[in-house]
Amino acid sequence: MTTLHMLSHSPFSDSRLSSCLRLLGPGDGLLLCGDAVYALQPGSAQCQALELMPESIGLFALDEDLSARAIAGPQRLQAVDYPGMVELSCRFDKVNSWL
Amino acid sequence: MSKSLLIISRQPPWSGPTAREALDIALAGGAFDLPIGMLFLDDGVFQLSTAQQPATLQQKDLGANLQALPMFGVEALYASTRSLQERGLERQKLNLAVELLDDAGLTALVARYDQVITL
Repeated sequence: MTTLHMLSHSPFSDSRLSSCLRLLGPGDGLLLCGDAVYALQPGSAQCQALELMPESIGLFALDEDLSARAIAGPQRLQAVDYPGMVELSCRFDKVNSWL
Repeated sequence: MSKSLLIISRQPPWSGPTAREALDIALAGGAFDLPIGMLFLDDGVFQLSTAQQPATLQQKDLGANLQALPMFGVEALYASTRSLQERGLERQKLNLAVELLDDAGLTALVARYDQVITL
């Protein structure tokens, strides 16, 4: 059973991202939206950790949150719009929202 | 002599009203010639990053308000070196001229002001 993990809080102000990284399994996905896209800030330890995730884990982020914050993200990142977000949440067996 | 006030702004720009409100306090205080200082700490330093496009989130740009600080007499502007480094932000790429302070500098800064608000 694959899980899409959805994060929306800044990784610099709490530990959701680091806990989530420990829980991710093969085939899972990570979708960053809102302030969680700050995890993709180049040169941060958080971005490095995301780049080092196993290839089998999909890394996604909401496009408008990226452009609002002027963040490009690493090569492996797939930017999605809202319809893409809906498609993602159907593609995985379940969605885990880190509220 | 008015009491000096240090505003510590530690929220990122687009996820709530807090960053804008901290800035409004600084601008209002500046307009009344109060001795105001502003420190960008933790995620607050993201307010200083360039080329942001808040219109994609239907939000108004904070950049213009930040640029207005010196015009309103708020010239004591600081940011934490550690917060910038952790977030991969380079001082050359900030949208505002701020003085960078290490942790010891932050302690001294807070000690220097009569009053402090953290938002």
